[in-house]
Amino acid sequence: MATATTSKASRMGEEIWKTRVDKISAEVLTLTYGTLVAQLCRDLTLPNTASQTDYLAVNAELDRMGYAIGLRLIEDFLAKSQNTGHCSNFREVAEVISKVGFKMFLNVVPEVRGWQGPPAGEEGAGGPVAFSLVLEENPLAEFVELPDDGRAQDELWYSNVLCGVLRGALEMVQMQVEARFTSDVLRGHESTEMRVTLVRYLQDELPADDD
Amino acid sequence: MSVYSFFIFDRHTECIYSRRWVDKHLNASNRPNSSALGHGDVPATAKKAMKDRDDVRSPALLPTNPPHDRSFPDSAANFIAIIVVQAKLIFGTLFSLRRMVRQLGGSEDQFLSYRTGEYKLHYFETPTQLKFVMLTDTRVGNMRTVLYQIWATLYVEYVVKSPLSPTEHPGGLGVANELFEGGLERFIESIFGVPQTTQ
Repeated sequence: MATATTSKASRMGEEIWKTRVDKISAEVLTLTYGTLVAQLCRDLTLPNTASQTDYLAVNAELDRMGYAIGLRLIEDFLAKSQNTGHCSNFREVAEVISKVGFKMFLNVVPEVRGWQGPPAGEEGAGGPVAFSLVLEENPLAEFVELPDDGRAQDELWYSNVLCGVLRGALEMVQMQVEARFTSDVLRGHESTEMRVTLVRYLQDELPADDD
Repeated sequence: MSVYSFFIFDRHTECIYSRRWVDKHLNASNRPNSSALGHGDVPATAKKAMKDRDDVRSPALLPTNPPHDRSFPDSAANFIAIIVVQAKLIFGTLFSLRRMVRQLGGSEDQFLSYRTGEYKLHYFETPTQLKFVMLTDTRVGNMRTVLYQIWATLYVEYVVKSPLSPTEHPGGLGVANELFEGGLERFIESIFGVPQTTQ
């Protein structure tokens, strides 16, 4: 069943990418994003210093920006991927994020790995539910070298905006998740990997009482 | 075919957009069609009697429905108050109906429309829990694709993607921009043929 979902999702991702997406040069995106991060690194400095970047603050800011993007991006995603139907479990969510979502907006298909949690269909059983997305290519990080100040390599998650995007987008479809990078080739790791953990499914909001 | 009104509710259960059209076909005296809501399930003859009474008592603009509203004086503030009340009523109905539908038909089930003797309510909900609602006369067919189009081609393009509009729309902030309203007007016109007069 998992493979059926996978191939259906990849076909749909391809289809949407070919027919419904406006494209821009990847370099425009790469350079714009690079400029943004560089500017943040200049602006957000540690207290009482003028030039030492507070990388944790940069990570947080990127995540916040991504969150705001995700809240809106999900509408565009849903409008373009009509007829998807609902995902019946978190495994399908992972497949659709990688094969349709990343494909649609970045034209890459990260691999879903490191599945953790009860088998499909038994999500209610409890325990953490999580998966990793392994980015073979990362369009955001082309041409990038982290600053050589001895700290950026350990503290900065350069593509952290993606975590925010996932968090924002999934929140709009009633899933509260936690997303963070666990490794990045820019830091010298083997692969670029994000971990997405389901916190809970959100309930419908009730209307306020009249009086 | 004519359209009476249109509402959008967000995931916080708030009405973020509403719009009403005067229905020329229903009544030559230019009485707002909102009565369609109020007189909902009244048989035609009784309806006619009520209409006549209404016309005598409030010949001008003021509708309308729940009987207790009729004692209100005729003013713009009241008109808005009535829309607010209507939006609340509609949301309440949707909320319960949608629950009932899911309990009976499974969690994936959605209702598409319901009709009374006087009007038909069409409903479309996005996975992000935006709810699109349209009230039309009873002869109108399935409007689900129309509501879908309003969401995908107008709301997403002109509201969600507008850099000037906020991410959330408390009090309808940023929804009623020129592009969206213009687009909606043209789209409704293209479907219902005759230009619908905005109220």
